[in-house]
Amino acid sequence: MNTLPRPFLFVLIGIAIVAMIPPVIIMRMRSTNQTQPRIHWIQDMDNQPKFRAQHANSLFADGRAMRQPVSGTVARGELRADTHFFQGIANDAWATMFPDQARETPDLLARGQEQFTIYCTPCHGPIGYGDGPVNQRALAVMGDPARSKGTTWVEPKSIHDADIIAQPVGQLFNTITNGVRTMGSYKSRISVRDRWAIVAYMRELQQRETANRANAPSVGQPNNQSEGNQP
Amino acid sequence: MRTSKDIDGPLETPVRFVFPQWSNLLLPTVIGAILVVPIYAALVLTYGLSPVTHNVGYMPIQPIPFSHKIHAGELGLDCRYCHNTVEYAAKAAIPPTQTCMTCHAQVQPESEALKPLWESYGEGTAILWQRVHDLPDYVFFDHSAHVERGVGCATCHGRIDEMDVVFQTQPLSMGWCLECHRDPEPNLRPLDEITNLAFDSLRDQTAQVRRGLLDISHISPSEDCSTCHR
Ligand code: HEC
Ligand code: HEC
Ligand code: HEC
Ligand code: HEC
Ligand code: HEC
Ligand code: HEC
Repeated sequence: MNTLPRPFLFVLIGIAIVAMIPPVIIMRMRSTNQTQPRIHWIQDMDNQPKFRAQHANSLFADGRAMRQPVSGTVARGELRADTHFFQGIANDAWATMFPDQARETPDLLARGQEQFTIYCTPCHGPIGYGDGPVNQRALAVMGDPARSKGTTWVEPKSIHDADIIAQPVGQLFNTITNGVRTMGSYKSRISVRDRWAIVAYMRELQQRETANRANAPSVGQPNNQSEGNQP
Repeated sequence: MRTSKDIDGPLETPVRFVFPQWSNLLLPTVIGAILVVPIYAALVLTYGLSPVTHNVGYMPIQPIPFSHKIHAGELGLDCRYCHNTVEYAAKAAIPPTQTCMTCHAQVQPESEALKPLWESYGEGTAILWQRVHDLPDYVFFDHSAHVERGVGCATCHGRIDEMDVVFQTQPLSMGWCLECHRDPEPNLRPLDEITNLAFDSLRDQTAQVRRGLLDISHISPSEDCSTCHR
């Protein structure tokens, strides 16, 4: 008899099969996504009983660890009495000039372009004609009864309409700060100075497009290639 | 096997034990085991305990089936439209309900999937988004330090704009952090490509450009323990 006796063989085959289990589990863990968090065998100090930003806290009624300022109080340096800078209002009317804290410098314009691209382009389009990708998608969704689900999309206004060109900078600033009709407010996301930067960049876009329209033969047509046409 | 019963003669005669022939196979088996078992154990332990096995691919179920593929990919929203603090703060804030409402007040307000959003909006409660990336509490991490120095979101989070559900693509282990802190050059990109996930810092720019980024901004990430454990 030149082979191992059966009990021996069975035990060996059994061990080999059991030994296959960990590699299979490991391979599965490495090749698929898991919805369960990893098991913390060794806790170390991984989860400390302290609260970090945006964590939950059952001590408070709203369940948030981050607290809001008590209503009716003002934090130091947050009084915001300068209505020109913080609200775009000078002498009880929309300001027509930029405030001292945000002068129209090339730096401000560059910042404005970046911020406009992040926050406004999705709806208003790269040049501001109201033709952004979100607008196109929302119109498509609204037109499709199966996907509409109550969509009532109002097209974003073109910033090159005559009535917007005529608006003072303070009013444009207020539109970003508090929103207008169906457009939401951006004051919690864009800092005050960046909002003025966006206004400066919008003015620049309006002037550029007005000049373009005056030069181009197709008067009144949105000119999406305008950026390349500038001398 | 032969026993004493098989042999005639007085019982006192001691029976010589003869190893059966198969026992010749035991020695190679044992030597084989001594060679194979350590290799096996080493492989199972390295791969089984590796952070890549444990941490990568964690994809918790979110209360709202929010899709980055639709919002960041197809609608082309910049990451900062929602994670607006990422440039100047340690945290990349998860957006508040208000941010979703800038669109969803009009877009698909009656969708089943958005019910928790409207509940949260009406009652002022928080949406219980599940954390995906979670470093241990003894580690200090700062987004702005990386984003402002030219490390893009894609380097640490992968192609978020192609994911319907966010999952972790990097191990976020100490070794992983240090690998880049020792040699950040291959991961640097110009600041205006930070949120462009399609931009590949190795494919889309030459080594010379990357060296330039490194030298001009004097980027030298620290390896001191107190940088990350403070
Ligand atoms: C979610 C889409 C969306 C985004 C993002 C958006 N807007 Fe609007 N915007 C609109 C819509 C819709 C209107 C038209 C509102 C209406 O007529 O009901 C509008 C109107 C305007 C108007 C005209 C206001 C008036 O007095 O008629 C201005 C100016 C404007 N937006 C500027 C901006 C700026 C600047 C940004 C970036 C900070 C921005 N918008 C971002 C959707 C958007
Ligand atoms: C429309 C808003 C929106 C945009 C735009 C957006 N995100 Fe998010 N992001 C969210 C929300 C809401 C969550 C929480 C739910 C989740 O994890 O899916 C989230 C979660 C994440 C997480 C996981 C956070 C955790 O818990 O660890 C990462 C990483 C992330 N986003 C990266 C990005 C990147 C990179 C981009 C740009 C390509 C981006 N996001 C664009 C809304 C947004
Ligand atoms: C800039 C506009 C915009 C913002 C901001 C936005 N969404 Fe959306 N979202 C859309 C559009 C447009 C669609 C429709 C896509 C389609 O179906 O073609 C959509 C679709 C969805 C859907 C799928 C709904 C369904 O019934 O199929 C969910 C869920 C969703 N969004 C959640 C969110 C959450 C949560 C947030 C906040 C973190 C958010 N969205 C912020 C524009 C936006
Ligand atoms: C150097 C690597 C790195 C880069 C670059 C990076 N992240 Fe993160 N991100 C992390 C780590 C690590 C965490 C987990 C932080 C924690 O647990 O405290 C995280 C967490 C997050 C979260 C969850 C909320 C939080 O802050 O804990 C979001 C959202 C997020 N990142 C978005 C982004 C976006 C958007 C970008 C690009 C602008 C980005 N990240 C760039 C490593 C990175
Ligand atoms: C892809 C590259 C990369 C990865 C991965 C990375 N870092 Fe960094 N880290 C950098 C660079 C670049 C800097 C900036 C160095 C400088 O400013 O000179 C930096 C700086 C830092 C700083 C210094 C901030 C300060 O205030 O000085 C901390 C803390 C830090 N990283 C923590 C981490 C942690 C924790 C991880 C892992 C979760 C990590 N980093 C992963 C590239 C990286
Ligand atoms: C670039 C950031 C960074 C630096 C520098 C760093 N660490 Fe860490 N360290 C981490 C991270 C991230 C983790 C968490 C790893 C994990 O989640 O498995 C960690 C975990 C640890 C742990 C716990 C390991 C465990 O699993 O129990 C120890 C101990 C530690 N570090 C010691 C050190 C020492 C000593 C130094 C200095 C030589 C150092 N670290 C420098 C990022 C860093």
